Amino acid sequence: MKSLIVKRIIAVGIALSAWELLPRLGIIDPLFIPPLSQVVVTINGLLESGELPTHTLISLQRAFSGLTAAVLVGIPLGLLLGGWFPRLQQGVEPLMELFAQANPVILAHIIIFFLGIGEGAKIFIIGWLCIWPITFSTIAGIRDVEAQLVKAARSFGLGRGSLFFRIVLPAAAPAIFTGLRLSAGYAFIMLIASEMMGASSGLGWLVVQSQESYHVQRIFAGAVVITALAVITDLLLKLLERRTVIWTNTGELDICDTHEPKRVNLYQEEAP
Amino acid sequence: MEFPQSFRDHLLRSSGLTVFLLLWELAPRLEWIDPDFLPAFSTVMVEVCELFQEGALQIHLLVSIWRGVTGLLLALALGLPLGLVLGRYYRDLAETINPLLRVLSQVNPFTLLPVFILFFGIGETAKVAVVAWVCLWPVLFYTITASREVPLILVKTAVSMGASSEEMLLKVIVPAALPTIFVGIRIAACLTFYILVAAEMLGAGAGLGWLVHNSAMNYQIPRIYAGAAFIILLGFLLSRFLRYLERGLFPWQFEAMFQLSGEPAQLAWRPRKAASIAFACTVLVALVIGGFQVDKINRASAQGGHTGHHGHQTMAEDAPGGPAAGGHGSMHHGGTSVPSKGRGSDLDMSDMTMEEEH
Repeated sequence: MKSLIVKRIIAVGIALSAWELLPRLGIIDPLFIPPLSQVVVTINGLLESGELPTHTLISLQRAFSGLTAAVLVGIPLGLLLGGWFPRLQQGVEPLMELFAQANPVILAHIIIFFLGIGEGAKIFIIGWLCIWPITFSTIAGIRDVEAQLVKAARSFGLGRGSLFFRIVLPAAAPAIFTGLRLSAGYAFIMLIASEMMGASSGLGWLVVQSQESYHVQRIFAGAVVITALAVITDLLLKLLERRTVIWTNTGELDICDTHEPKRVNLYQEEAP
Repeated sequence: MEFPQSFRDHLLRSSGLTVFLLLWELAPRLEWIDPDFLPAFSTVMVEVCELFQEGALQIHLLVSIWRGVTGLLLALALGLPLGLVLGRYYRDLAETINPLLRVLSQVNPFTLLPVFILFFGIGETAKVAVVAWVCLWPVLFYTITASREVPLILVKTAVSMGASSEEMLLKVIVPAALPTIFVGIRIAACLTFYILVAAEMLGAGAGLGWLVHNSAMNYQIPRIYAGAAFIILLGFLLSRFLRYLERGLFPWQFEAMFQLSGEPAQLAWRPRKAASIAFACTVLVALVIGGFQVDKINRASAQGGHTGHHGHQTMAEDAPGGPAAGGHGSMHHGGTSVPSKGRGSDLDMSDMTMEEEH
């Protein structure tokens, strides 16, 4: 295990030094891919000028508002549909599948008609995007709760409420977390897209802005920051999952768990 | 659960959709919502038909599909062998560079778009590269996992029967890994469709995303809905089709499900060798023809748009530009992302030369 970590650090080190050296030695045109050190300097400059914190904060705020809204709507919706109204769930499932396909960026112009060009539209886009993986995986999690657990709990005389909160919800929690992590990933991808399309702030805007002024180093700086944010968010969600869902073996906390997040057995889970 | 067994099931499953479409039709007609903002469902469908008759839909569909398929094939060409090698022969290396791959896979494709544009110009290559990037990671990760987790008993059996290493690869490992790999391909395809359309809204001169974007620029509201509805339907059909294909190709993965639903395994068709070769050839020919077509469309839109070129829009907030009629193809929109005005024509040139390489 120790040696693996050392090896991994060495691999990352090699990749980073390649990024530094290849442009420096002129093997790659440094105008196209600036060396790492320059990117770091640029990030530092953006940090000092206060641009980066401002835009990062704005982007994060949008992402988290959307994600929170999706969690607040999606999990109860999934619980209701999966747990209490399975017939209704069958009825609305094709509709939800279509909605999950409805790319909110395509609908951005329409959303702007209704919500204006302010924050509302962007938060709606993110929320719409995030709600479907969360809802679907909640439904799947509820549906796949082991019948034996429920039966055992019933025979011990648990009431409806405590059956739900002490058996069903914990058993569905890992699936819900999977949906949450998928959602967070998509949220970041599409947030940047929507900020690139029509915004005057945020990290996506920063990148587009740098592109328009041919600030290659800034593009890379923006890309690095966005990637770092995505990685950190994923890590935090994993940490949260490990802290709250302690009864399943979620394995090592590591950005590089070797397995994909356990895909729940429902066909929409990957439709972003 | 996915196979409705009776008429009642069908009825139940379609009820949600029916209610939604009815509401969509009635709400604007009864003026609950301003029909200028939300045209009725029938109006939108009429618009789809019009787009189809104009030929705009086919053109942009072709462009989008060509980009998507080319990118996906590139990702497959890179990801499958790499994943197989990493998962099968260099497991330590795979473990070692795993964090690197994970972080790379988190790199946002939209932030890469400007970088790829720097590299490849604003032509097709940048978009295809973004698609390939998006597709590469699911394909690679699923291939690594799949080829690493081939059941040991299969491998041991094959070894004890004296299989050569080539036979082992082609007859044991690849077939055993294929179902999982296919899941990766399916995820990649669906995700790509999603991202490609968004990327086309950001900077393209053709494609389904551009069609919607252009309609929005010209305030053709029914047309936005028409384009969006078509795209959504297409994505839906794509994911359904891939699921169907998965079931057809790898029925053993779904045995339990078939038993439960009492469905005989009649979906289990095996592609014959000739059929697969014919399929591959068709895809190749289609790609080449599609490439020429896409090239032609891009040229047409570049030439047609030269007059109004300097006024072209940069972002969603900008004023509508270009002629409202003949929205497809007649307006140059090639360089949304690199809209420095003085250099517009230079960029066009680089655009053209990029295309000629195809």
